[in-house]
Amino acid sequence: MNSAEAKAVLLLYRPGAADAADPPMTEALELARQDPELGRWFEEHRAFQKAMRAKFRQIEVPAHLKTSLLTLQPAAQTFIPPPAWWRRPVWLTAAVAALLLLGLAGVWLQPRAPDRFANYQSRMVSEAQREYRMDLLTNDMRQIRQFMASRGAPADYDLTPGLEHLRLTGGGRLTWRSHPVTMVCFDRGDQQMLFLFVMKRSAVKDPPPETPQLAKVRQRLTASWTHGDNTYVLAGPEEADFVKKYL
Amino acid sequence: MAARASYNDDRGRGEVDFQSLVELHYGPLYRFAMSLTRTESDACDLVQQTFLTWATKGHQLRDLAKVKSWLFTTLHHSFLESRRRSTRFPHLAIAEAEAELPAVEPDLVSHLDAQDALQLLSQVDEQFQAAVALFYLEDYSYNEIAGILEIPLGTVKARIARGLAQLKELVLRKAASAGKAKEGTA
Repeated sequence: MNSAEAKAVLLLYRPGAADAADPPMTEALELARQDPELGRWFEEHRAFQKAMRAKFRQIEVPAHLKTSLLTLQPAAQTFIPPPAWWRRPVWLTAAVAALLLLGLAGVWLQPRAPDRFANYQSRMVSEAQREYRMDLLTNDMRQIRQFMASRGAPADYDLTPGLEHLRLTGGGRLTWRSHPVTMVCFDRGDQQMLFLFVMKRSAVKDPPPETPQLAKVRQRLTASWTHGDNTYVLAGPEEADFVKKYL
Repeated sequence: MAARASYNDDRGRGEVDFQSLVELHYGPLYRFAMSLTRTESDACDLVQQTFLTWATKGHQLRDLAKVKSWLFTTLHHSFLESRRRSTRFPHLAIAEAEAELPAVEPDLVSHLDAQDALQLLSQVDEQFQAAVALFYLEDYSYNEIAGILEIPLGTVKARIARGLAQLKELVLRKAASAGKAKEGTA
């Protein structure tokens, strides 16, 4: 971590908050202790934050607000949650436990879904649709490759000419059936994101061919192909010239 | 203090007393609403709408420990709805903010008041404002802020980083223009 990177991390420092114990924060704090210039910047930044926080908390609340809010008081204002399991009759708890065990046994004993590419593709698209988490926020592809390599995820992926021109926003390491997957996130430029998922081709029994195959999966347009040792899924919003623009 | 004790007792019994809820949270909610709307009447409307939603739908909340963040999320929803915001904000990389980290002497901030702080926040990119406001107003973790605003953790951090960088730049600019005005009158 260099001084500029440490500043970006320290910018988010808040004393006493749980985030202060994050490993990158710990490293940046250590660097600030060692580097006098960075240390001075950090001290100034902390003082700025403290002063700014105090200003925001000085916002005065109108005196009439509370009175008008209390007139909203609902007739039935209490919420009584269902009784906790330990307060229920023993026979009911035992019956629930037996049903759970039966259900779990069913899950364990059923044959596992095959490692089909379609399953992988569908999971990855749903990852993109949910609140995904990028492990690394950066516009530097080298950093993403280094990060993925250090975590055993594919780092030797090739970008299509179309993706080379898009703005990189970051990446994350995912897993699919214990196989590492590299997720690379691009900003399409109109507040929409494109996601490239890369996994070893040996992880699925039926990898897609070398020529990209288009498919609509969960309201997303996907292009899937295999190249070298890797299999690729590109997922993004549906648009007419998807192939021309990104592949 | 009495309100807090009563609320905690109620939580232990699995009940929420509306009056205690208002007493505990209307202040922080109003400050958050002010940081979003900048006008007293709009902020009051948002807080009213939030408690009205609680009065009608609050019973659906199963985890009482999440009442506060539920109220903040509801207020933020109401704000977005009132602004008819349908577009998603872009995800941003913290790395981009690195070049925008001006050093600001704390003395410059001491000359500001709460109204100045709100005025400066209004000049920060709109997509960063809610995250920055929660960052300053409450002691929420970044994960909790992500939960309230319903955006990914990385996006929260990027928005706060960019927002803080812009805020610092604005404080510097304000100080510079105040300095010029002083020179002009001297």
